Amino acid sequence: MTKKARPVAAITMLVMFAVVPLLITPAGAQQLSDRAKQVGGKFMCMCNCNQVLTGCNHVGCSTSSSMLKELDQSLSRGDSEDAITQMFVQEFGTKVYAEPPKSGFSLVAWVLPSVYLFVGTGLVVFVISRWRKRPAAPAGAAPGISADLLERSRARASRETQD
Amino acid sequence: MDVFGSFALVLAFVCAVYAFGGGIAAIFTRHPLLIKSTRQAGMATCGLIFLATFSLEYLFFSDNFSNAYVVAHSNRDLSTFYKIAALWSGQEGSLLFWSFLLAVYVLSVLVTYRNKNGELMPYVGVVMAGVQIFFLTLNNFVASPFKALASAGADGLMNYVARADGSGLNPLLQYPEMVIHPPNLYSGYTGFTIPFAFALGALLARYPGEKWIHLTRKWTMIAWMFQSMGILLGAHWAYAVLGWGGYWGWDPVENASFLPWLTGTAFLHSVMMQEKRGMMKVWNVWLVFSTFLLCILGTFLTRSGIVSSVHAFAQSSIGTWFVGFLVLIITVCFGAYLKNRDYLKSENQLDSIVSRESSFLFNNLILLVSCIAILSGTLFPVFSEWITGNRISVGAPFFNKVNIPIGLLLLFLTGVGPLLAWRKTSTESLKRNFGWPLAIGLVAGVIALVFGFREIYSWVCLILCVFVASTVGLEFYRGAKVIRARAGASFLASAVDLTLRNTRRYGGYIVHVGMVFVFIGLAGAAFNRDIQKDMQVGQTMQIGPYTLLLQGFDSKPEKNYTAQRMNVEVLRDKKPLMMLYPEKRHFSTNEQNGTMVAIYSTLKEDLYVVYAGDSPETNLPVLHAYLNPLVKWIWLGGAVVVFGTLVAMLPNRRAVLVLAGAPQPAAQPLAHGLTPSVTLREGHD
Repeated sequence: MTKKARPVAAITMLVMFAVVPLLITPAGAQQLSDRAKQVGGKFMCMCNCNQVLTGCNHVGCSTSSSMLKELDQSLSRGDSEDAITQMFVQEFGTKVYAEPPKSGFSLVAWVLPSVYLFVGTGLVVFVISRWRKRPAAPAGAAPGISADLLERSRARASRETQD
Repeated sequence: MDVFGSFALVLAFVCAVYAFGGGIAAIFTRHPLLIKSTRQAGMATCGLIFLATFSLEYLFFSDNFSNAYVVAHSNRDLSTFYKIAALWSGQEGSLLFWSFLLAVYVLSVLVTYRNKNGELMPYVGVVMAGVQIFFLTLNNFVASPFKALASAGADGLMNYVARADGSGLNPLLQYPEMVIHPPNLYSGYTGFTIPFAFALGALLARYPGEKWIHLTRKWTMIAWMFQSMGILLGAHWAYAVLGWGGYWGWDPVENASFLPWLTGTAFLHSVMMQEKRGMMKVWNVWLVFSTFLLCILGTFLTRSGIVSSVHAFAQSSIGTWFVGFLVLIITVCFGAYLKNRDYLKSENQLDSIVSRESSFLFNNLILLVSCIAILSGTLFPVFSEWITGNRISVGAPFFNKVNIPIGLLLLFLTGVGPLLAWRKTSTESLKRNFGWPLAIGLVAGVIALVFGFREIYSWVCLILCVFVASTVGLEFYRGAKVIRARAGASFLASAVDLTLRNTRRYGGYIVHVGMVFVFIGLAGAAFNRDIQKDMQVGQTMQIGPYTLLLQGFDSKPEKNYTAQRMNVEVLRDKKPLMMLYPEKRHFSTNEQNGTMVAIYSTLKEDLYVVYAGDSPETNLPVLHAYLNPLVKWIWLGGAVVVFGTLVAMLPNRRAVLVLAGAPQPAAQPLAHGLTPSVTLREGHD
């Protein structure tokens, strides 16, 4: 790109993409969900829809209605979030959690993704360092089989296959 | 037709067994007649599966209510359109449909390569026949869709009976997208059988590893494209039908469809490492194996009842068959790998960490971490029940918390990867390629902040989307500019020419743009709003800039259901904008209710209106309105992804243009002014 063209291209792109945040920027203050919605999002609906309580996809679902009613009543009594959680767990068991609690065995669910990421990153770094140290091997050199055999295999594969 | 269909399936099974056994014999004997006959047996298997599938469809179209499957999933008033979809609405029919789609792929492969790849094809044929045998076993002996209704007579003998009408199709499935979503998704699942068959076949045949990659690239892309379409159509169906205002709930079955898509995506990227540098051969083989295994695992999750899901079929013993098949596949894959792994050794070294190779490694890492995290989250309730005795649910909040950061990392790599050079990227090249996109992304971020954009993940996502789109835009701009200078064509024509010269590379960029659109749509979810109100005629409710006025109700009797509609006038700035008609449907055949959401969709936001039943307290109808920003970008992005994939599958139009100075020593940094993007070599990048 020439020095002259760069600013033009940049400004064009800037104008194009600057529109995106304008599209999503709320016109006024963002509507805050009420407390019931916030707390309700931490539980599953028990009607087997497999959705969170506030997102049950069964129109007219009586289970979610009664759970939300219980939730409303608890909040209006001033119950804490912990107390509400205890109430639902006693009523429905641990399957009412929308996400595993961060304690006990459930902690494993939270830890695992980080473990995958760290172990995976470690592996990638290990592989990269090994590949960097490895001398540029001539094509065909592979332990376990002779270079000649590998070359013959490659020639055979090339001969026998066509797109 | 029951008997005809059953007979066709039994014959298909016999032919598949012959194709499998004869194929193994052909591999050892290399007898031309045996090779030919097993190939023909493979084709006959496919033809017979087609016949069985058409005969089941015929039973639906002819309202044959002596067939148990037709009774359970259809009725006389069901429209012809949905009688097609009834085929895959239950366990037995969907398994037959799976066999049908697999047969389409297998037949295509057998016909395409009937006179080619003579040494490899028997191996591939055996693997494909093995998979077909498994599904035909289920079709014939475990979940046959051709069971006739029968009752015991006074003489103790079974008499065939026929019902006057059927129970009808699940209302949730009576929506146009349900006619195209499952075929797309299943085409993705079954399509991954082909790269799997080639990968395993090539490993068994001791092919060093490059050839099967070339042979299966298009098949993999076809399967990936269908899987992408299937996932997005499913999301759109959930959005437009279920009435909960969302499109992705991290349901186990949704997750099951996403897992092979992630590994398939990883494969489509890492395969370039093998083609360009002869690296990651073992990894690629295992990615293909894993993708196929995840397809089967997903089917197992859907059908075994091991995880609770709205999509899952009733719990049945069929899951045991899938476990057995999974164990068998893993055993065969491991066995083949251990025996012939020496043919998969990498041939090259890595010159620099800042290189395309490294970016592919990290891209694969992120995709795989996401895949494993979703898999372990999906299965966590099962494990928690086994270990602690309590089933702990893992719902959408968990998956969102885990996957949003991973997704953002992936988006970042989507922008970075393509601009890094193979082998080594110089600092100068880094500055040249990333300077402007980074600046544009950051400026967009500042603008967003100024306009009150405060949700951190969405903000980062927006910056990255602008960054990635800028990198892709610059790539097109630079390439098109070179062509324009040479050919004197318009800029647009030059960009098209550029794309057609290296369809794979630029098709891939178009796919990346599609993914950017999808991410823009996902970022909007942080700003969703909703409001619910018991409404009397003449009342209004306000959501965002829209005023919803309930004008009244009407009833719309249809052949298969009765719809009660709310007539809602939408006003914006006190000016009438349009009418919306959210519906509540009642299906009298099976006494079930359904909804039909009304959506006013723009690029900025969706006004999504649901007739949410009647309030038990007030007896008034309930209107639930959502304002979901940017959702349309997701569907638009899906269309762009499909378009880009189709472009990437096209052959390059003409001999490639290599710019002056292009033949550089590979290990050296690229010369100034000559980025990898404008070196239009025969494109495998």
